[in-house]
Amino acid sequence: MPESSRIEAYANALLEVARVEGHLAEVEDELFRFARTFEGNDELRMALSDRALPADRRVAVVEELLGEKALQTSMALASFVVSSGRADEFSQIVDRFVELAAAERKQAIAEVRSAIPLDAGQIDRLREALNRATDKNVEVKVIVDPSVMGGIVATIGDIVIDGSVRHRLEQLKEQI
Amino acid sequence: MLGTLLLAAKAVEDVKAKNPILPEGKEILWASIAFVIVLSLLAWKAWPAVKAGLKARQDRIAGDLAKAEEARVEAESSLEDYRRQLADARTEAAGIIEAARQDAEHVRQERIAAIDGEIAELRARAAEDIRLATERAMSDLSTRVAVLSIELAEKVVEHNLDHDTQIALIENYINQVGSN
Repeated sequence: MPESSRIEAYANALLEVARVEGHLAEVEDELFRFARTFEGNDELRMALSDRALPADRRVAVVEELLGEKALQTSMALASFVVSSGRADEFSQIVDRFVELAAAERKQAIAEVRSAIPLDAGQIDRLREALNRATDKNVEVKVIVDPSVMGGIVATIGDIVIDGSVRHRLEQLKEQI
Repeated sequence: MLGTLLLAAKAVEDVKAKNPILPEGKEILWASIAFVIVLSLLAWKAWPAVKAGLKARQDRIAGDLAKAEEARVEAESSLEDYRRQLADARTEAAGIIEAARQDAEHVRQERIAAIDGEIAELRARAAEDIRLATERAMSDLSTRVAVLSIELAEKVVEHNLDHDTQIALIENYINQVGSN
């Protein structure tokens, strides 16, 4: 099966299970955050993608990481993907899952990276600002990423609105 | 002549009377007659042959002398030819040597010109290499200075980005995105 079809199938499976369990928004949010953690940690990614490692050991790692921090459904779905040997496609599956869920709500996902966590008021105002800027109904997913140093980077589909200090320093470096 | 002989005989007899070893007057007469006859016969028969022999010898010697003179002249001519050829050969050799010297000089000048060209080209290339290396070094230095400046700026920014500044940056971003 082609990779894109496989990712689509897994994403749909996650969406159906989350919807049936009645925790779609929470599962979506928890898996999205876990996917970002997974992306940013090479050691974790290599361990979970290592098919030579027994599946129960890989699942144990997922359970240890999510454990009490996430819903049982979120942990079960992450364990399912990892134990199926698709950990190397985990981020893509989760991203597609979040896109499908947002599309059902007629929303677009705005991946927002900030050096510090945003409070609810900031997230609401940011959503409204992004709605006006993109003329879409966006759902904000905040990722705390110290590498942006300061400010915010928002990615909605192919649109990137970069107001980070890191981006300004990069521009300054190019100008110099 | 006979009178002379008689007088001679008379004188001999006069002397004979005085010298016992002298012949008789008749003996002297007949001896003289025989001498004259023999002399006449020699002058008549032998002298032309002797004269012819002498003439032939003289002619042969003259011929030999002429031949010798001719040979000498020929030898002198050959010698002159030889000298002329030698002079020509020397002149030709000198010409060849001069031509070879001129060729060698020409080749030397050409080689010097070529080497001068090569040296000039090498110098130009070296100068260009130095210029490019200098430009590269300056560019690398500029890049390095830029990178160091940015790294320094990052550290300064990191230390100065307190929570209030972070909040201000986020608020500014939201306001700017919302206004666009």
